[in-house]
Amino acid sequence: MQEIIQLFAAFLGSLGFAVLFNIRGEKLVFAALGGLLSWGVYLGAGYIDNNPYFCGFTASVLLTLYAECMARVHKTPVTVFLVSAAIPLIPGAGLYRAMSSLMERDWVRFSKESSYTLLFAASMSAGITFTTIIYRMIKRWSSRQTRI
Amino acid sequence: MNREEAEQYLYCAMSIGEQLLISGAEVGRVEDTICRICKAYGAERVDVFSITSSIVTTMYGEEFGACTQTRRVSGMANDLHKLDCLNQLSRKICALCPEPSEIKADLAEIINGPRYSFGMQLLIYGLVSGSFSVFFGGDWKDMAVSAVIGVLLKFLEAFVKKGAVNGLITALICSTAGGFLANLAVQAGLGNHVDLISIGNIMLFIPGLALTNALRDMFSGDTITGLIRFMESILLAVIIALGFAVSNFLF
Repeated sequence: MQEIIQLFAAFLGSLGFAVLFNIRGEKLVFAALGGLLSWGVYLGAGYIDNNPYFCGFTASVLLTLYAECMARVHKTPVTVFLVSAAIPLIPGAGLYRAMSSLMERDWVRFSKESSYTLLFAASMSAGITFTTIIYRMIKRWSSRQTRI
Repeated sequence: MNREEAEQYLYCAMSIGEQLLISGAEVGRVEDTICRICKAYGAERVDVFSITSSIVTTMYGEEFGACTQTRRVSGMANDLHKLDCLNQLSRKICALCPEPSEIKADLAEIINGPRYSFGMQLLIYGLVSGSFSVFFGGDWKDMAVSAVIGVLLKFLEAFVKKGAVNGLITALICSTAGGFLANLAVQAGLGNHVDLISIGNIMLFIPGLALTNALRDMFSGDTITGLIRFMESILLAVIIALGFAVSNFLF
């Protein structure tokens, strides 16, 4: 039950951020669906391995694929879908908790939360960069094939 | 193409690059766009260097020599509709090579493009706050309180921004007010958990996305841009945490 509520909240949160980023028209729905997808994959990957960094990496790989495909369909830059669909995954809460424990001089909690935040952000950006590079390589390769 | 024309075309390309950067494009895209536009107009070689706050371009050609322009870019806000329109405009420029006056007219139209109304943004602040409060495990009471505080914070943010102080001060004032209101609501018995109410409001201001993008920039080779964005987001996060810490301390 908790998962379904989370998925619904992820959809609404992404939709909200998509509006704040001034995305218009039907792209709004697809951007929000991307948020739903990314959190769904994150939860699903949790059944395979409980490591949050692995889940973050898997979710961002699939999310980037989704964004690349949607960008092709709608003929827009990839950023439009990538940024709004990544919203449920971004470690905003972790970043806040790290900084608030810094304020309270709770060094044990600070080192735990800040390393979690940095590693999670790093695994997400690794997933996104990895997929982008592979996607571009395949695209370049296939366009060269057709030219020959 | 003589010298004067070259300078005008470069000026237009720089304006498009600047607007792209302001509306949240990656640095690589900005450099690539300027390079493509200059080459479409017949430059032999184009060197573009861009970080989040500055663009430098030099283009070379037989007829006009070397032509350099720089821009100082200030302020950034994610406006993906504008980004989309600018992308289409630069594609059109590369395909059709229109006159500078035509480019300027198109650019002015894009800059004055549509934005969601203030009422809609109020609603969205409430929606986002409420959603993330539930997302992190709050109950329906927390959700309602968080949504109301989100709407109030949008009013406050708009008011503070009119005073044109810098972004860090705006974040400090908003986060202090947000923490204060959350504590007040729990004391009055309206909500149950201060931290879960606040988390929805925090998500609106915390630069989690900027942090992720900073690491992405570093992974894809734009180390300087990545470092600048990283420092900016850490600083903003410290300020927001400070704001909430101050209000928690008061209660």
